[in-house]
Amino acid sequence: MSADNQEKSHEKMDIDSNNPAQDEEVAVEEEEEDDQDVEKIKILPGASEDGTAASFQIIEEDHTLGNALKSMIMKNPEVEFCGYSIPHPSEPKLHLRIQTYGNITAVEALHKGLDDLASLCTVVEEKFSQSVASNNYKTVIS
Amino acid sequence: MQSDNSGPIVKIRDVQPDCVNFVLSECDLALANSVRRSIMAEVPTLAIDIVEIEENSTVLADEFISHRLGLIPLQSDDVDSLLYNRDCSCGDYCELCSVVLTLHAKCTSEGIQTVYARDLLVEPNHSNLKIGQPILNDDANKGSVICKIKKHQELKVKCIAKKGISKEHAKWSPVAAVGFEYDPWNKLKHTDYWYEEDADKEWPKSDYCAYEEPPNPDEKFDYTAKPNNFYFDVETVGTINPNEVILRGIRELRNKVAGVIYSLDEIVARNANEGNAENIGGAGFGTVYGGATQYGGTAYGGTAYGGGTQYGGTAYGTQYGGTAYGNNSAGNDDYNPTTGWD
Ligand SMILES: [Zn+2]
Repeated sequence: MSADNQEKSHEKMDIDSNNPAQDEEVAVEEEEEDDQDVEKIKILPGASEDGTAASFQIIEEDHTLGNALKSMIMKNPEVEFCGYSIPHPSEPKLHLRIQTYGNITAVEALHKGLDDLASLCTVVEEKFSQSVASNNYKTVIS
Repeated sequence: MQSDNSGPIVKIRDVQPDCVNFVLSECDLALANSVRRSIMAEVPTLAIDIVEIEENSTVLADEFISHRLGLIPLQSDDVDSLLYNRDCSCGDYCELCSVVLTLHAKCTSEGIQTVYARDLLVEPNHSNLKIGQPILNDDANKGSVICKIKKHQELKVKCIAKKGISKEHAKWSPVAAVGFEYDPWNKLKHTDYWYEEDADKEWPKSDYCAYEEPPNPDEKFDYTAKPNNFYFDVETVGTINPNEVILRGIRELRNKVAGVIYSLDEIVARNANEGNAENIGGAGFGTVYGGATQYGGTAYGGTAYGGGTQYGGTAYGTQYGGTAYGNNSAGNDDYNPTTGWD
């Protein structure tokens, strides 16, 4: 995957002149590290033309988000592939790859995965609170 | 417990002042593990972060004592009322982002005097809040030992406690240990037991074996089986009560998700505005999500994702118990399901 996408991304950088961010990508890369307003998530170069396959980079996240999100996106029957990696241990970056069967875009699949994960967290929290409120447990042992 | 068979189930077994034992069921290993990681590393607490040493004639070096002070558990129930120091507009530290504790101990008698965490005095700025008081959970209510001093030795320090998370430094962890276990009979073969002659005889059985069916030796190995019950045993350090630690851990996980949703919506909207939609594939995001989707079917289990989404006007209901996303009573984060972040 990587070699293929690398080539495509270079092509794209040359063609895509209406996106100033991409033109300056190389120059900006160094400063980006210190910039407070740097994007939490971005779409990495090399997404397919129709948007059904794309890679994302999420900064300052790790396996805590990555693994749960990946497993949630994989549950979607429209998604053919989803995987994540942390390319380098000393960079706080999470890469997420999504490929769908073609009926939805990767962005939609990601958005749905995020929404579902958030809902699931809410429900686990509620179930825990209910369980606490039910008082149906031991409070002292031995 | 509720008997609806969709979505996760939580059963609390046992709660003590500093631990909680519960089972999380009907969910993925991935989610359970994220909850565990979140509890251990993402829940904010208060800990001493800067120590100004005025006098230290003890036998311990300044940095040695500073390290010990950092590890002392401080009451963190109301830590949410503090800002992170890095987000505060003050240049150094202030009462909005820190709690100041002072310690002055001097030995004037023969023999050895012990300095304890209870000797730390909290400056009264936050006296109406449960924040900053050293945790004194031992029988004598003295707290952790800081150092021992002999006649004429003195320790005088000013400590600045700040809000932080244990991903940065373990002193901010709300928990001493999180027990996390699943599949006590090892039916899934995720564990490979070392043995001399017979693993069954040489290894002790898990306490949780009583809650699950033992394996049937005549049955074939089920390679499609997935773990379903996750046994948590969370022991806190006393800074936040154990039930609250779990809830805050789950909330931190959801806040992470909300943060990514917010940013994703932003870049999608910007791409759509710039007519740069080919970057993300065809139509700008939002149109495709309107109204009914193709998820109404099977694989998601029965009732599925109820027709409308938040993008189609109605609240976002899921099969996980039908709560509107972000509309729960406990959700005090700023994420609003219809408008994004406030
Ligand atoms: Zn401040």
